[in-house]
Amino acid sequence: MRLYEYVARRLLLMIFVLLALSVLIFYLTRGLLPPTTALAAYITPRMDDSAKLSVARALGVATTSCPSYSAFVSLQGGCVVPLWGQYVGWLENALAGNWGLTLLPGISGTDTTWHVFFSRFPYTAELAIAGAFLTIIIGIPLGIVSATHNNKLPDHISRMVSLGGYSIPQFWFGAVLQILFVLYIRVNGSGLLSANSTVATRCVICFSGVVPGEIARYSGIPLLDGILSLNFPYFWDSGVALILPALTLAITSIGAISRIVRSSMMEVLRQDYITLARSKGLKENVVIYRHALRNAILPAVTVSGLLVAYLLGGAVIVEIVFSWPGVGNASLAAANVLDINFLELYVLVTAVIIVVTNLAVDVIYAKLDPRIRY
Amino acid sequence: MKASKPEGSQSSDRYGRRADLKYALHLLRRNPIVLTGVAISVASVLLALLSPLIVNPTSWDQQPLNLRLCWNNPIVNWQIANVFNCGGSAVYPLGTDSYGRSLLQMIILAIPVDLEIAFEVVASAVVIGVFFGGLAGYKGGIVDEAILRVTDVFLAIPGILLAIVLIVVLGRSLPTLTIAVLTTWWPYYVRLMRSQVLSEKEKPYVERLRAMGAGGIRILYGHIVQNSIYPVLVQATLDIGSVILTVSALTFIGLTPSPLLPELGNLSNQGIQYIFTAPWLILFPGLTILIISLGFNLLGDGIRDVFDPRLRR
Amino acid sequence: MTDNNDYLLRTENLFKWFPTRIGILSRTVAYVKAVDGVSIGIRRGETFGLVGESGCGKTTLGRTLMRLTEPSKGSVAFEGTMISALKGSRLKPFRRKMQVVFQDPYASLDPRQSIGSALLEPMKIHRIASTKSEAKKMAGELLEKVGLNTDHLARFPHEFSGGQRQRIAIAIALAVKPSFIVLDEPTSALDVSVQAQILRLLRNLQQELDLTFLFISHNLAVIRQMCDRTAVMYLGRIVEFAETKKLFENPKHPYTKALLSSVPVPDPSKRRELGVLQGNIPSPVAIPSGCRFRTRCPYATEKCLNLPPPLIEVERGHWIECHYDIDFAAASKVEIRPRAT
Ligand SMILES: Nc1ncnc2c1ncn2[C@@H]1O[C@H](COP(=O)(O)OP(=O)(O)OP(=O)(O)O)[C@@H](O)[C@H]1O
Ligand code: SF4
Ligand SMILES: [Mg+2]
Repeated sequence: MRLYEYVARRLLLMIFVLLALSVLIFYLTRGLLPPTTALAAYITPRMDDSAKLSVARALGVATTSCPSYSAFVSLQGGCVVPLWGQYVGWLENALAGNWGLTLLPGISGTDTTWHVFFSRFPYTAELAIAGAFLTIIIGIPLGIVSATHNNKLPDHISRMVSLGGYSIPQFWFGAVLQILFVLYIRVNGSGLLSANSTVATRCVICFSGVVPGEIARYSGIPLLDGILSLNFPYFWDSGVALILPALTLAITSIGAISRIVRSSMMEVLRQDYITLARSKGLKENVVIYRHALRNAILPAVTVSGLLVAYLLGGAVIVEIVFSWPGVGNASLAAANVLDINFLELYVLVTAVIIVVTNLAVDVIYAKLDPRIRY
Repeated sequence: MKASKPEGSQSSDRYGRRADLKYALHLLRRNPIVLTGVAISVASVLLALLSPLIVNPTSWDQQPLNLRLCWNNPIVNWQIANVFNCGGSAVYPLGTDSYGRSLLQMIILAIPVDLEIAFEVVASAVVIGVFFGGLAGYKGGIVDEAILRVTDVFLAIPGILLAIVLIVVLGRSLPTLTIAVLTTWWPYYVRLMRSQVLSEKEKPYVERLRAMGAGGIRILYGHIVQNSIYPVLVQATLDIGSVILTVSALTFIGLTPSPLLPELGNLSNQGIQYIFTAPWLILFPGLTILIISLGFNLLGDGIRDVFDPRLRR
Repeated sequence: MTDNNDYLLRTENLFKWFPTRIGILSRTVAYVKAVDGVSIGIRRGETFGLVGESGCGKTTLGRTLMRLTEPSKGSVAFEGTMISALKGSRLKPFRRKMQVVFQDPYASLDPRQSIGSALLEPMKIHRIASTKSEAKKMAGELLEKVGLNTDHLARFPHEFSGGQRQRIAIAIALAVKPSFIVLDEPTSALDVSVQAQILRLLRNLQQELDLTFLFISHNLAVIRQMCDRTAVMYLGRIVEFAETKKLFENPKHPYTKALLSSVPVPDPSKRRELGVLQGNIPSPVAIPSGCRFRTRCPYATEKCLNLPPPLIEVERGHWIECHYDIDFAAASKVEIRPRAT
């Protein structure tokens, strides 16, 4: 099979996955509870019935022919749009680019789902990228050291670190980091943590008091915007604010990836061509970095596809613990009020990212390892 | 699976398996890390089983106001200004929580709650994985395709979000929590079992069994699965820890049946609000999660080393 | 090929093509023609040899005629029943009569199953023994029959040597009291000394239990020693077939001649006329036109390029598929029959 055919097939499958996911989420949020729950977050006790009914119609839950709100509540025949009808209506809108309104506050701008989501998304992207970066620059060397010093002290230490990282509850690690930095290091006097302990929105080693939003938003990613607008304090602040959440996010995957690198590296080091390279009198470092690492890194590449999914999932918890203004944090709020528009957009965007990175990883893997065929 | 074995072979099987097991135990014994893992996981399971005898399992009501956030431990001093002693003769080795209950007792009550969910999730995931993954790998074709596509859908969504939505929709209770986590967990086992079966079914003994007239069920569940289940069991051991982490994270972010429920994530959730006034409240429940999860990870790692075919024979 | 009715198993123009799938929609574009029109008949009580180079389709033929895989075309009749048309549970009675022993004794046993359990399993499937103790007794007897003893019942495959495992595989095959056994290179993974023991065991068992063997091998010496009649296979077809003695003493097909000449013969003066085979065996996906052997045949002519050779009986019971010997046949006035296919 040719590469482009393979990619095309996978992309076709992705469309299926996206449709199935949107149905699943729609069914979960709308299909399992009575239709009035879909309105709950939008109506106030003060609204009169006709206002409530128009909300229900606007949400696509009540039919236009429904005479009154009480008829809707009592599920009178022809009053409630059947679930598939609601879904088709939603899908038509979504395909036309209209994702509706959301209940969640955005960072700035209007309250359309699309706006709110993409004003928050850069923060999650920043966190996930930083997490991936830390995972790679810490996890891979840790695995290599472990393999090359098999059963010696560095191996034991790095195994304990990776196992510990793999076993530690992220929410707890994040909280403990906050205590350590603020309570015991006392970087910048007191009172830096607000009552609900946010490090993210107010930073610890603050340069200035720049609040997000006062800066030109080129990408929405604070770190990047800081560079682009040559605002060094802003860059510094966002960097400092990022460190603890990113480390918390990465801690689990560091453990996972270093274990994989360790075992594949050990397997490679046992193989004949490595012995041959050694017997040719090559320096141990050359053997390790030029010959062994190249082959040992392949399994790490394959899991980096899973890593993205993992980091995006883990971000939900980390964002909550650090009150990070990203989409993960918002998705919990959205789930709590069954904000279907936001949930669907969140799930679909994340799914696209996960599927596309997995595909990219498979293609890269096939390019790196000539033995693999599609 | 047992039923598919001829009755006559039971005693002989047991003999052979015992030799197998002995060898495995011998390898385990030589490895201190694994031994630690065994010790921790056995201890935590024992503690979970004995916990109703140690602490009255229904005694987690709110206590009087004056018992809240006390550190009545004469031996250890926190040296934090606002940590106070509530007086009285009662000693709380790990202090009291924000409802005035002994934290140590709450942790002892919480361990069986978390472990039970973890075992239920992992065991169900293994059963689902063995059944559907085995079927997909053995049958191939359209069955395989269908099962794979369903797992694709579940693997394309961050598990934690799916779990959150499920809990919100189905209501906050321990069974819902179990179902929600299981829903995000099973696809990995289906994939794992499937890939194991795919490679195992190519072995000549499978063809010999078919030639002998053995049916698909007997071949798949009586032979192939039994020969390829070790990686799945290793994964299951490792996942006990991961499930506990996930469950406690979910309750930590507030998806809990009751804020009073002694459950490790729940207890930590109280702790984060009193992070400066009562640091023990976040420290000890989290540490408990860490230790239990570490124990099962060490155990799983060790089992993997012991049963790694490249290291054996 | 003959009109004799005393056949235990017959195949009629049997084909097994494996599709190779490529493309987005998994369009089938090519076939691996592993078995490409085979008609053979195996007589009750004989050892039928099947010889050919690696990859020529011997194993696939064996699997197809045991109905372990569905033929693409053609039929297989066992004791007069068309088993090629049967499916699922209707095949089960025949599974009891036909057994197979594979080349690799390590892989053909379930590593987690004790020998006793493996021996009892077929009895259980086919309800051969009425009681547990009877089944156990039979299992012990089977082991003794193949030269092992009852103590071995509780052991596991990894505790045995290669030769012992092959004995176990044979014992398991015998557990259902079959009448026909496919032996797919049963000794080629074993040491020479062990080979001889296993071959002796097989011959003794055949006499004692009145078995019919299909003996697959690429070892000509073993074929010569074991088989009553032998078929030579090339790229999915039988190109020559005769009584083993005749085949070895007077091979007719250029391929057989080449094969035999490549067997080391102790006395150089007895070397056959042909040199060793030149070139590689063509891919079973792209089988040459006309005669499939023509790319390597020293006698190939224009005719061989265009016309598939007919099946002819050069002597009584000695068949070949070749244009070359037609001239020979004409010269010796042997009747030429049309291709059976
Ligand atoms: N299940 C299958 N799918 C696709 N191709 C197959 C399959 N089984 C066999 N083949 C192909 O059919 C051809 C014949 O294979 P077969 O195993 O029958 O040869 P053989 O004569 O037994 O060889 P050997 O002496 O090596 O055992 C080979 O090219 C093989 O690759
Ligand atoms: S038919 Fe022609 S090519 Fe084929 S074997 Fe005979 S002589 Fe050779
Ligand atoms: Mg073969």
